[in-house]
Amino acid sequence: MKQVLTSESAFQQTVERILKLSSADDTFITMSDSNAGTLRFANNQVVQHVSVRSPRLTVRAAFGRKTGSSSTNRIDQASLKETVYKAERIAKLAPEDPEYMSPLPRQEYNTVPSYNASTEALSPMDLATRTKPVIDACFGQQLVGAGIMSNSSSVRGVAASSGLFGYERSSDARFSLTASGEDSSGWTYNAHRDCTQLGIKDRTHRAVSKAILSREPREIPAGHYPVILEPAAVAGIFGPLLWSLGAKSYYRGDSALAGKLGSLVLDAGLSVASDPENKDLLGGGFAGNGLATTKRDWIANGVLKHLYYDRFTAQEHNVEPTARPSAIVLSHNGPRVGSVDDLISQTKRAILITNFWYIRSVNRRDITVTGMTRDGTFLVEDGKIVSGLRNFRFHESPLRCFKDVEASTSPMEAITLERGKMLLPAFKLPDFYLSSVTKF
Amino acid sequence: MTMQNKPNRREFIHLAGGGATALYVGGCAVSPSWYQGTESMHNINGPVDKHNWAELAQLALAKIKSAGCSYGDIRLIETQGQSIRAQDKRIASVRESFDSGYGIRALYQGAWGFAAGAGFAKADVERTAALAVEVARASHTLMKVPVKLADEPIHVDKVVTPRKVDPFEVPLEEKCDLLVRLCEKVHEQESVIRSNGRLWTQRDVKHFASTEGSVIDFDLLAIGGGFGATAKGNDDFQSREFLVPYSRAGFEHILSYDMLAQADRIAHEAVEKVHANKPTPGKYDLVLDPAHLALTIHESCGHPSELDRALGYEANYAGTSFLTPDKLGQFRYGSEHVNLVADNTHAGHLASTGYDDDGVAGQRWPIVEDGVFRGYCTSREVASAIGESRSRGSCRADGWRSVPIVRISNVGLQPGDETLGSLLEGVKDGIYIEGRGSFSIDQRRYNFQFGGDAFWEIKNGKRGAMLKNVIYNGITPEFWGSCDGVANRDHWREYGFITCGKGQPGQSGWMTHAASPARFRQINVIDPKA
Repeated sequence: MKQVLTSESAFQQTVERILKLSSADDTFITMSDSNAGTLRFANNQVVQHVSVRSPRLTVRAAFGRKTGSSSTNRIDQASLKETVYKAERIAKLAPEDPEYMSPLPRQEYNTVPSYNASTEALSPMDLATRTKPVIDACFGQQLVGAGIMSNSSSVRGVAASSGLFGYERSSDARFSLTASGEDSSGWTYNAHRDCTQLGIKDRTHRAVSKAILSREPREIPAGHYPVILEPAAVAGIFGPLLWSLGAKSYYRGDSALAGKLGSLVLDAGLSVASDPENKDLLGGGFAGNGLATTKRDWIANGVLKHLYYDRFTAQEHNVEPTARPSAIVLSHNGPRVGSVDDLISQTKRAILITNFWYIRSVNRRDITVTGMTRDGTFLVEDGKIVSGLRNFRFHESPLRCFKDVEASTSPMEAITLERGKMLLPAFKLPDFYLSSVTKF
Repeated sequence: MTMQNKPNRREFIHLAGGGATALYVGGCAVSPSWYQGTESMHNINGPVDKHNWAELAQLALAKIKSAGCSYGDIRLIETQGQSIRAQDKRIASVRESFDSGYGIRALYQGAWGFAAGAGFAKADVERTAALAVEVARASHTLMKVPVKLADEPIHVDKVVTPRKVDPFEVPLEEKCDLLVRLCEKVHEQESVIRSNGRLWTQRDVKHFASTEGSVIDFDLLAIGGGFGATAKGNDDFQSREFLVPYSRAGFEHILSYDMLAQADRIAHEAVEKVHANKPTPGKYDLVLDPAHLALTIHESCGHPSELDRALGYEANYAGTSFLTPDKLGQFRYGSEHVNLVADNTHAGHLASTGYDDDGVAGQRWPIVEDGVFRGYCTSREVASAIGESRSRGSCRADGWRSVPIVRISNVGLQPGDETLGSLLEGVKDGIYIEGRGSFSIDQRRYNFQFGGDAFWEIKNGKRGAMLKNVIYNGITPEFWGSCDGVANRDHWREYGFITCGKGQPGQSGWMTHAASPARFRQINVIDPKA
């Protein structure tokens, strides 16, 4: 049996106990607690299955501009006392932080649809039951399946001596599959608050089909190619752009976007927004520092509109602070088709890319990144997939490859091994640099 | 230099750094919830009362055995951490963390279950043990081949990381002052626009017990630090970093690097780098510094030598391995100069913990010998897949919440007989690379790209001006095949890693890679915008 998570009233009581114990000018408290189950399968059988309860409480104390932080996963009275004591001791010893900001006053938070009871209710046996048809589908095609089936329920809270208080419940279900043949593979991954919305059957079918379609991959030379990027691949190359939206870096000079507010930075049809209340995303009602999350355009029709301002930089520039970009929707106002299959059918010649892997920054000055294609790379000719391809390394920048988008789908759910969930279109791009080939 | 299995039987250190005298936990909470008050016991050894850990462990193991499991183990862990970060001449954060809990594994008719909890009442521990069994029973419904663990002698022991200066006892003011002074020092260079510094330490007290009878106590310490500078100019910005490598040691390790004495050089190099030329793409001879090679070894040798990857366990996440079991003992991984040895007995190295989380004693064995692939990192679960009767002791978890998985060991490049001078002398037109930069590798560990932190041209056997934006690309066995010389033991340096991501849910692996500088012929230096 899993254990009951910290309730709102229990968190409220803990906050009151901490505030009673504290002698600091400011006390800021964050709490998280979760039950998480993950079944991991490989070689068509379970190889790992875990159920983990994981509570955490952090107290940050400040005397003037001197701050210290201490965290614990125990909140009996003695541990709370010790945690508060440690945070205050650190604060007294630490030098003044010229960028310190007192906790926010009480905020109004939107209720985000972050919780689903049926996701929380899944038992270890339920995870196994949901996995069985996935394994059977791989086994039935002489493929080897590896992946995860998981569910978690979490609570998080934020509070401060200023009266700030927030508490939120959430749930999260995940499913991923890599179906592998002798020389081929296909992949899928989804996460959702609601475990019934993962699309396990359809996604399993697509991953299995890709593993079959990519058999006997051809090797074609590295170079610049037109590409069709599926949404997960778009997420991989687009994600690093989000790193550059911070105002502190923008004004201190080490952001690739420095000086470009109000300028066209992407294709004039592309817009990037945060949509925390979107039920298909994993947004929350507040950020870690207690700022309310709100719907916001970062880039509109290709033009850089907003940066995210940490509270100190916001004060320096006399603007409202903003939570970091989360719950991202990328959309394209331009030639639009219904599906990836439609993009394929209207393509003369291109490389279709399912996913990227091991994406790392190469040059922060222009957001050049590198990485590999993975688990489903194909040659498209005359509107059809004609062959699987050996995987490529790429070198690209979202600022270059998204300058010109030829066609797109509507935004779709995408989550990758390295990025959180976003909604993004599949794109057809005229020029993408695949810089070398690997051995499989 | 190797650590004994029974190092010194030094008592646990009294935690004076916390300033607290009495820290109370444990006893007999009646509720499963972590926030309930508990009966208190005075404890001088750390925040958690550990006097009954052995009893709690045996309680969990009894529960597992009575449920019909063939094997079970428990790790009770208390972790204390301290992290101090400086940014732009200010202390940006000082964080102390305390975390405790336990992870329980149960093997039911050949299927694994794992459950972790943080409540230390007897009822909590029993409930978590029952959950581990419930999870294992669910796994059993999808089992095809039962897990059979390789034999390991029963160990009853205690392992303590040797330390001269307890980092938790070093005054915080001293640490903050050091980091602020480092920042101030690098900002003396006018073009330096950003600075950063960090000190980090973690202590893990752990009690391992298995149904086979092993009982092992650990008191482990790790520490690391560093600082960096970013310079602006020449329509560009570039960073330079100085690392105090992560190590199993006390604060004396930080002091031995005298970071302040390096700050001026690092700032100058950041400025020189921003004004440096980019290389013309093409083939170059590379001489790679140990601070750079450590990462190359990690990615291109360490990961492919993990047997669980080679067997497909990580196919959905971290990936598989081109070093498949059929290549063992015959595949030419590199030139005859390439000797890579796994050594979990080397003092100070992060994976040198006496025993792994399977309760297997630390060992030393070859991964690549005279260029030929010879060995894997294994666990008790996977060892038999390559016909080995004993695990190599490479199964570790990153804390009580995480299940142990196969991890890279302390894999290092063995010294050769060159000197740094003789390696350089052999190069007409090449590049010397130090530190870590951009790195990426495919999921079978063939096609990689590495950058670095600092680059110098080598002209006619001499190191010359700095370069910037150097990245090289290759295929693992071809790259190691081009190694034609390794410097001797005088140049051997060790670099620890604490952020090796693997597993679902994700975990961080810790290990150390040591190397002497080595030379690689005709490597492809590329232009990312070609």
